[in-house]
Amino acid sequence: MSGQLWTFLIRRSVGAIFFVAIVSIAALVLVRLAPGDATTELALAHADRATIEAARARFGLDRPVLAQVGEWLIGLGRLDLGQSSLYSRPVADLVLERGLRTAYLGALALFVATAIGLPLGVVTGSRPHGVAAAIVTPISIALVACPPIVGVLALLLLAATTGWLSTAPGAVLVPTLALSLPLAATLERLQSQATAETLAAPDVAAAAARGVPPARLVWIHAARQSLRPVLGVYGIVIGTLFSGSLAVETITAWPGIGRLMYDALVGRDLFLVAGCALVGAVLIALGNVIADLIRAVADPRIREQL
Amino acid sequence: MKSTRLIGFVLAVAAISGAVYLAGPNRPDNKIALHGPNTGGRLVALYSSEPKSFNRLVSPLGAEELIARLTHATLIRVNRVSGEIEPRLAREWSSSPDGLTWTFKLRDGVTFSDGVPFTSADVLFTFAALYDKRVASPTAAGLTVNDQPLKLRAVDERTVSITFPAVYGPGISMLDTLPILPKHKLQPALDAGTFRNAWGVTTPPADLAGLGPFVLKKYAPGERLLFERNRKFWLRDEAGRPLPYLDEIQIDIVPETNSEVLRLESRSADLISDKVRPEDLAALRKKESDGDIRLVDAGISTDPDVLWFNLAPGAPAAKTRPWLQQEALRHAISYAVNRQVIVDTVYLGAAVPIFGPITPGYGEWYLPDLPRTTYDSATARTLLGSIGLTDRDGDGMLEDASGKPARFSILTDKGHTLRERTAAVIQQQLKAVGLGVDVIGTDPPTLFSRYQQGNYDAILFYVTVDSTDPARTPEIWMSSGAFHFWNPLQKTPATAWEASIDSLMQRHATTLDGVERRRLFAEVQRLLSAHLPFLHFTAPKVTIAMSARLKGATPAVLDPPVLWNAEVLSVSGPLGGRQ
Repeated sequence: MSGQLWTFLIRRSVGAIFFVAIVSIAALVLVRLAPGDATTELALAHADRATIEAARARFGLDRPVLAQVGEWLIGLGRLDLGQSSLYSRPVADLVLERGLRTAYLGALALFVATAIGLPLGVVTGSRPHGVAAAIVTPISIALVACPPIVGVLALLLLAATTGWLSTAPGAVLVPTLALSLPLAATLERLQSQATAETLAAPDVAAAAARGVPPARLVWIHAARQSLRPVLGVYGIVIGTLFSGSLAVETITAWPGIGRLMYDALVGRDLFLVAGCALVGAVLIALGNVIADLIRAVADPRIREQL
Repeated sequence: MKSTRLIGFVLAVAAISGAVYLAGPNRPDNKIALHGPNTGGRLVALYSSEPKSFNRLVSPLGAEELIARLTHATLIRVNRVSGEIEPRLAREWSSSPDGLTWTFKLRDGVTFSDGVPFTSADVLFTFAALYDKRVASPTAAGLTVNDQPLKLRAVDERTVSITFPAVYGPGISMLDTLPILPKHKLQPALDAGTFRNAWGVTTPPADLAGLGPFVLKKYAPGERLLFERNRKFWLRDEAGRPLPYLDEIQIDIVPETNSEVLRLESRSADLISDKVRPEDLAALRKKESDGDIRLVDAGISTDPDVLWFNLAPGAPAAKTRPWLQQEALRHAISYAVNRQVIVDTVYLGAAVPIFGPITPGYGEWYLPDLPRTTYDSATARTLLGSIGLTDRDGDGMLEDASGKPARFSILTDKGHTLRERTAAVIQQQLKAVGLGVDVIGTDPPTLFSRYQQGNYDAILFYVTVDSTDPARTPEIWMSSGAFHFWNPLQKTPATAWEASIDSLMQRHATTLDGVERRRLFAEVQRLLSAHLPFLHFTAPKVTIAMSARLKGATPAVLDPPVLWNAEVLSVSGPLGGRQ
């Protein structure tokens, strides 16, 4: 790896650390300031006042918010993210357990979306009036326009009525498809447009005039050039994957960080919310760095700008 | 010769009858009647939340309660359907003449799932853990009388004596909520002050031990719990066969109700976690007619929605709109809301109109002759006029004496569609009599926080009960209670009628005579009906859906509706196969 890339990596990593810290602290403070606290469920379960007060003290809710933030930051230095009030477990263990599941699902969905979306985009972009484009384009538009919750429910319905896909908690196919299909459609649309523009560019027209076979022209020359703008949105795509995982994980019963964060928010579990936000921010920051690196590898002009 | 012919004729008839019977369609019910329930197999149930602990004393929420019902046992059990007290770990009991001291004879030969014998020491240990201040068990308050703990004494290894601080109306039924824990496993944690953290969800299943029909075999966080038959379970059925019938119970954690229903419909689950929603009933009835599932009417819910106003003296809203605390307003609303419309449009017929907090689901405590306010918008307008709310500018909406619009907000929990729709119907119907309503949806912690701070006009919410005996929920009825909706935690009763209710409930809780207890609570209900501090409109009919292969279920309105009696459940045929 060149010195430029190392410098770039270090610069981005420092920025990512600040980003992660700000997101996590903001999550902690916002949940602490929001109405209600972690003792609501106890109160609804008819616990007496002494028990509720004991729980408040145990969760640190009798201390000022700044003191809690300070303690949390000190703990963060030791990779101690505090104790979950909801699960009575160390937050670090919980978020690692669930974060890995979300990362696995996200990576799988990204791989599937890329494997489907990019080649289809090249096909529809190179032959916009062909049969493939006539079939793929409306499906893509429908998938892009479809709200994620509708898509995942439709997949579940299909799985339940046909028995083709397992709907059991932890089964990976339904959540992967739920996350990857809209993403594949987005990538297909972007790649299609980029391919069409690239094929109209003078250098590609010149290559065609020099007798480069059409297949090589499309799949080597145009595809490589058109990939650059598409790779540019991968950072955003990874963020979308993380935010989309909340609904998908809840509906398909995938035990990931999105579902954990939802439970933590509803249960007003301060440290767990902060921990989940931290993992989410790390995943997004990491995704962005990786996307930038891929772009730099694919495009020498980007490398020069680093 | 004649007798030979006769015998031949009888034999021929028997043979033909037998052949016809055998050639006929399957008669599963008859088979069950002849051979008893199937043994073995795995039941697949769905549940919406995952456990936060395997220690029921420190976490009393839904999933933990369900796990406790499967893996632990109590001294006695309240039958969820009949309401009768049944022997469990205690085989018999007697009380002293004053009703204060109860002596329980424990079953012989009972062992925990790890083979260690169960003795009176385990009962004493469980109560010691329950009342330990360091444990701060949320269950403890429900096992005290007048804020005093019960006193226990081990008479011998198989006999326990429990003394109540005062005569307590519900009596020993309160023991139904307390699973007996193994002293040999948990005493060190209690001594070390770490009992709260003992048996967390990361505890290996092999380290747990219980007296219930099942033991935890595997827990995959966020995915599923797998229980297997407790081979040391001590109960047998009437025919002397060992219980439970099932080999395994698998509980899949599915947090989304639509997904649960889909899995039940596609025959990949036997049970869903909650009662059937009205909007799912039509589809499920079709599945029932196809023979895929079975729907059972368990009765009327015991936790209907309740609308209450902030009646605390000095409530912020009442300073500018004193009419919000007027009794006539609540009576007017009761007349203005057509309960049948809520039944028909929100519950699609799967509910009944109610006029007080005690629904028919409460059995003996229900008062069918309670006064009813049938829909009458003219009476509602008259009542509103009596507190100065009239249409002063001719726009069809009411204004108070100072000309300000008669408008208030109803807080409710966002995402609970039935309650949100009920609030919308109330809003619409009150608009018809000139009252403006803003419905504000929020999450439960925010709603509860605003309730505790008194920062609200009115709230539409619910409260669950784990017993139908009103004496088990004093926090609702007593003016000092934290759930005395309209004006909680009063130092002294704010009104004469609340003082009367306090007195009646006090007597109700300290009387053993069932007839007298019913009379006292009937008086409480009449006072509530007269002053209407909270309003009830409908109570849902509880329908439980289950796979057609599931046998032996006796669904109840209290949670868990089916798995409360898990040891007698059985399955016939594989999941997904038509019955």
